[in-house]
Amino acid sequence: MNWWKQLTSRPQLDQDLSAEIQQHLEERTDALVSAGMPRAEARLAARREFGNVTLLEERGRDVWRWGMIENLFADLRYAFRQLRKSPAFTAAAVLTLALGIGANTAVFSVVNAVILRPLPFPEPARLVALEALDRRSGPLPSNFSYPNFFDFRRYNQVFEYIVSYRTSNFSLSGAGMPMHLSGAIVSADLFSLLRIQPALGRGFLPEEEQAGQRVVVLSHELWKAEFSGDATILDRAITLDSQPYTVVGVMPSGFAFPVGNTKVKLWTTLARDATADTATPMTEQRGARMLNAIARLKPGVSIETALAQMDTIAGTLAKEYPDDNKNFAGTYIRPVLDELTGDTRRPLFILLGAVGLVLLIACANIANLLLARTAEREREFAIRAAIGASRRTIVRQLLTESLALALIGCGAGVLVAIVCVNLLLPLAGESIPRIGEAVVDGSVLSFSVALALLTSLLFSIAPALRLAKTELTGPLKEGSRGDVRGQDRLRIGLVVAQITLGLVLLSGAGLLIASFLHLLHRDLGLQLEHVLTFNMSVPDARYPEAKQLEFNNRLLERLRALPGVTSVAEGVPLPLTGSQMTISFAIEERPGTRSNRPSSDIAIITPDYFRTLGIPVIEGREFTARDDSKAAPVVIVNRAFAEQFFPGENVIGKRMQPGASMRDGADPMREIVGVVGNAVQTPLQMQADPIYYLPYKQLIWFVPPVVMKTSIPPAAMESAVRAVVASIDKEIPIYGLQLMDDLLGAGIARPRFQMLLLASFAGIALLLTVVGLYGVLSYSVLKRTREIGVRVALGASRRMVLGMILKQAMLLVAAGVVLGLAGAFAAGQFLTNMLYGVSPRNPLLLAIACCAIAVTAAVAAFLPARRAASIDPMQALRSE
Amino acid sequence: MPASERKDLFPGALKMMILRTLRRQPLHGYALVQHIKKTSDDLLQIEEGSLYPALQRMLKEGWVDAKWGVSASKRRIRIYRLTPAGAKHLEREVFSFERMLEGIRRVLSPVER
Repeated sequence: MNWWKQLTSRPQLDQDLSAEIQQHLEERTDALVSAGMPRAEARLAARREFGNVTLLEERGRDVWRWGMIENLFADLRYAFRQLRKSPAFTAAAVLTLALGIGANTAVFSVVNAVILRPLPFPEPARLVALEALDRRSGPLPSNFSYPNFFDFRRYNQVFEYIVSYRTSNFSLSGAGMPMHLSGAIVSADLFSLLRIQPALGRGFLPEEEQAGQRVVVLSHELWKAEFSGDATILDRAITLDSQPYTVVGVMPSGFAFPVGNTKVKLWTTLARDATADTATPMTEQRGARMLNAIARLKPGVSIETALAQMDTIAGTLAKEYPDDNKNFAGTYIRPVLDELTGDTRRPLFILLGAVGLVLLIACANIANLLLARTAEREREFAIRAAIGASRRTIVRQLLTESLALALIGCGAGVLVAIVCVNLLLPLAGESIPRIGEAVVDGSVLSFSVALALLTSLLFSIAPALRLAKTELTGPLKEGSRGDVRGQDRLRIGLVVAQITLGLVLLSGAGLLIASFLHLLHRDLGLQLEHVLTFNMSVPDARYPEAKQLEFNNRLLERLRALPGVTSVAEGVPLPLTGSQMTISFAIEERPGTRSNRPSSDIAIITPDYFRTLGIPVIEGREFTARDDSKAAPVVIVNRAFAEQFFPGENVIGKRMQPGASMRDGADPMREIVGVVGNAVQTPLQMQADPIYYLPYKQLIWFVPPVVMKTSIPPAAMESAVRAVVASIDKEIPIYGLQLMDDLLGAGIARPRFQMLLLASFAGIALLLTVVGLYGVLSYSVLKRTREIGVRVALGASRRMVLGMILKQAMLLVAAGVVLGLAGAFAAGQFLTNMLYGVSPRNPLLLAIACCAIAVTAAVAAFLPARRAASIDPMQALRSE
Repeated sequence: MPASERKDLFPGALKMMILRTLRRQPLHGYALVQHIKKTSDDLLQIEEGSLYPALQRMLKEGWVDAKWGVSASKRRIRIYRLTPAGAKHLEREVFSFERMLEGIRRVLSPVER
């Protein structure tokens, strides 16, 4: 018979089998009756000779079934029926699982989106980030300058392409309001390297890197939003920074470059950096390190091979141009994905581990529930064993019930995960690359199903073990009570494990919370209340130095005149924006060669900068409007700078020569005229780095972002600010208008995200642990009812009974805490890099975590203990 | 444990006996059991019911086929008949069984001597 015929004719086959067995029994009965046996007795005898009718009939039917699968479905059906019969147990287990699997699925969807998913380009594994290595700083990866990049590109033999890129601001004008855009300035091979061609038009040609060429490729989003998806935009000119750029292509939707950066809306060639009206073009300055580089390895070339060749080139360049390259004789190459996700990888895996612990705790809880349930169902199992079920069948049934539970839990968990992901993403903001792409998709779903299968195995091990050890038919014997000792040991072990894991999570969360509080309450050295900042893009082309200065004077004057404004200044880079500018300098008293110079952060600022941001002037003076290009060159340093470079000296009046100038060879010697307080520059710093400040009027590079302190809520200032800028130049767009406080908030979004996540995991873990402890103690009290009754009858006081149960609980907690402390110490080490101003072995925090566990455990223990204490001995004894 | 679990016959023995019996004549289940019991002089411990799963397996393999009919005593019975495939299988089984018996005999006989 073929399988189809078997399947369709099966009801008939089954029916035939039953009929013929009945027939057999009748014939045998008749035969015995004719031999002289009474009919009733004959019927019994016939059955006895036949054997177990139900079982044999079932075996006969089994021949036709697709064993495993059909058994599974039958078992599943039975399992669901069993679960429906005990809704309280099912609800508790499913809820626990939904929390555990849901949290895991949510975190995995983030890990998947950020770390695991390959980059959206063909053969992404061959894409690498190429960086210069700065020997002075550690060595740390650093950027390239154009002349160096050109040399690497020329001598390269290991990459299909090397492409330079840097992001920059553009203002798009024409019809309507001027608009600020993020764009990237790239070398011509970008699209060939990525192997993504424009959906419309073409990519860049090599000759379009030449000075004077102005071509642009638009993102799909920009093309849709600003040019209403008009295909005739190709070969037409648009106005960027007051200059005409020819649109040569439109990228496909979803294309993002730099990798993962969706803010960049257009791409143009490095021709833009080859022209400069006010200084040597950047493409000719070997010391101007502003470029990132991406490359595609040739097939079969390893990163090591590529690194060897790049290092050779870097070494040659260092010898050839010692002034600029002496400290840059090496390179650093890693996969683009690593560069993108580098510092998020570890914290995310730690979070995944932590949420895994939560699931383990959940499993322990369910295992405990199942153990109690198995004990209650011993009679049912005994009956099933008595009518022919083998031990294997019963264990299989138990496993199937776990599987059914896990499947329901998985379904609910996925729903929880979808909700969680939507709640999580805003928390992370933009602090984690690609996190916005986190979705519950196919691979995430398979992860959670795998997780469900694994958990169902995990939490059914204990009950299955228990079942395998005991005499199944024991409970049928009159008045018998199964062996409870072994089961208790299992349950106690599970609860101790829960407390251990719970303490590990709790102490980890404690560390992150303490660290985050440190971040919040550290002394920034800044007063940010009521401080507003915004940026403008002022095109160089229309604003040469003199006009820029005039624009700036007028802008600051008009802003200052606005009602409610206390002070206004400009500065670049502003603190907390995440950008830093580092420039080397020479100290007059200690001249050295150019390559041996020290370097530190700098900022270019206008007068009133310190007052606006609340940075105190400690010694000397602030910059004034008179510190312009005609006046003596001056510089102000912060205290950290003074202490590092002039230890124990009076720095006022000392002279230094920063290498920051518009023109080659014209760096003036500057006199230090003031010392100001330390203020953090980057959002996650605990202590300020050395920094020196230069007056804007002596270094007119571009119009810096504005900061203004107001006496009224600064949010109300927006329209006034826009009006002021428009009154000077209608073509200049404003962007990045926000409170400095919000900037700080965005800057600490990542530690906050990590802290909130771990804290919620610890909270869930604590809850589950407490529930687990409560369950075990309640069950133990229930089973010891008679014993306690006897004790009370023999004169034990209520307090003694209460104490007895509490002591039992405290022993469990103590064991868990001791083990947990060891785990917490180990786990703390993993967190070291995520902590700010807190030691991973903070004894106070550990003590607090232990107390939290102990107190909640005491609460969980109190209810069953009180129930035990209120047992009426008469009733307890009578109930047996 | 139920008596059916007792391994009184080696695996395949029951099947071989069923096929051998059916080669003589088509029979229904009850008659088949009675015949085997009688022929073996009740030496073999056969649980009557265990015949049916075995018959189902053979039906599935195509060694026998079954038809409903009516017996001499007017009972509705299901009569099993050996198929050519079943006959061939029986031959093979008997052959290998005899080889096995011969092997066992050779191993056992020196002890008897």
